[in-house]
Amino acid sequence: MPPGLDKLQHIVVLMMENRSFDHMLGSLKAVNPKIDGVTPDLSNPDSSGNPVKAQPLAEFQAQLQPDPDHHFPAVDLQIFGGDTSASRKPNMQGFVKSYFNQQRDLQHSQKIMYYFAQKDLPVLTTLALEFAVFNRWFASIPGPTICNRAFAHYGTSFGRVDMNLLYINEPFKSIYNRLIDATPKHTSKLYYYDTASSTMEITNLLQHQPELFGTYQQFLDDCNKGNLPDYSFVEPNYSDHDTDSGEETANDQHPDHNVQHGEIFIASIYQAIKNSKLWPNTALLIVYDEHGGIYDHVVPPACSPDQFTASANDTGTGMPFAFDRLGVRVPAILVSPWVQKGTVVDRVFDHASIPATVTKFFVGEYSPRSPRETNADVFIEPNSGTIDPARNLLSLDTMRADCPDFDV
Amino acid sequence: MTLIHVPRPPRNAYDPNRPVSALLKAQVEYLHDAERRLPSHYRGEIYINAIKTEGEAAKYIREVTEAIHEAHEEAAAARTRVAPKRKRVIEIAAVADERAERKRTSTAQKRSKKKTSGKSGRKK
Repeated sequence: MPPGLDKLQHIVVLMMENRSFDHMLGSLKAVNPKIDGVTPDLSNPDSSGNPVKAQPLAEFQAQLQPDPDHHFPAVDLQIFGGDTSASRKPNMQGFVKSYFNQQRDLQHSQKIMYYFAQKDLPVLTTLALEFAVFNRWFASIPGPTICNRAFAHYGTSFGRVDMNLLYINEPFKSIYNRLIDATPKHTSKLYYYDTASSTMEITNLLQHQPELFGTYQQFLDDCNKGNLPDYSFVEPNYSDHDTDSGEETANDQHPDHNVQHGEIFIASIYQAIKNSKLWPNTALLIVYDEHGGIYDHVVPPACSPDQFTASANDTGTGMPFAFDRLGVRVPAILVSPWVQKGTVVDRVFDHASIPATVTKFFVGEYSPRSPRETNADVFIEPNSGTIDPARNLLSLDTMRADCPDFDV
Repeated sequence: MTLIHVPRPPRNAYDPNRPVSALLKAQVEYLHDAERRLPSHYRGEIYINAIKTEGEAAKYIREVTEAIHEAHEEAAAARTRVAPKRKRVIEIAAVADERAERKRTSTAQKRSKKKTSGKSGRKK
């Protein structure tokens, strides 16, 4: 058994908000050509048909107002460029058109093509270059937050493609319930930032099992005491708000929240794990729930369908959706001292890979799981049976001592 | 090991008066649905359709989230209080023995006390 897998006891997932791969990590193509980022030839036509280039002009705040549309019909336009024919092919040519639809402002619509220079995001770009960055991690659905996050918790959105209240249907249990109900029993916790930010999409779990939840401060304490559960899911702060101890600024990076606050948050999660005694035994996945309507150049692939179908009425496109295509590509990075520096992963993943990986690693074979989750790839190999070295990302024989630190 | 500097955002990044996003609106609606299932004394008085800013949304979200936790804690405490501890026959017999023992001890103590107070009375 490779030592990295042998020692692995804790998996932590941090899910940020609404930024595409090219927007956040596209600049890294210039540093490491294996990273499928932005090239000078990438463009989208504006509403007059003129090409708009992708440019490193993204700003931390006040640039993407209004919030770019990322509901199902808008993402359909972004991916298919406005072609609604039966023979259409995805071409990623509708981002500027989609943003133009919101304000009818030609100049402003071009900003959807902007991406961050490497120097602007020292935390995310450093982690991507130092550990394993995924070239093909896609949102689970070409749609908004709630249904995409549902895939991270349940491996399905139960047929939803919108922001409406998610009613959970049997028989698919959340990853948290699978773990705590397992024999032997495993531990699991969802850490929301604070009670004023709370959990975003799984209020059904909060209502019935509030003991599964903790706060960001408790996450830091649990790291410090070496008490992390087997599986942790961390949510950022979704709003600017006052607390008893002062002001808390949103750090989820959802437009139009300041991206630098998110950088600090990501660094604080990384440092809390790295500074703890659990560092050799923990893998951290940093991933974004969906692209937020912001440009990415990689065509989302088709996938095996789920057992649900969203009606033409629910999708708002006039066409039903069988959950047989992934959403737009998002940033995803796997951090562990057992990961080879500069690893670039080309296999296809989506958020259903999260419960798939955690279930297989801690519980083993498990049923029932949604068809989408059953077919999703895993980013950490199960710690039993024969390990394929080509798939194992925690591949080093000795733990790295050269991992970076951030001054947070 | 490399130490990487993380820049601090400007102070004016904080704006609790920023209009609520579609995401926060959805979150408020989910929690409103949860609030309606709470016992009445845990329900608040915030009218969710009047929530316009992030700060207002956060205030409501905090109220409901804390109420959910408190309602569960109260239910758990009530469960502990109400649940009768069913005693087995042996335990009942043991309790009877304990009571008899306590009675014997108590009577002996009372007698001894009487003697003592009698003495002191006499001293007086």
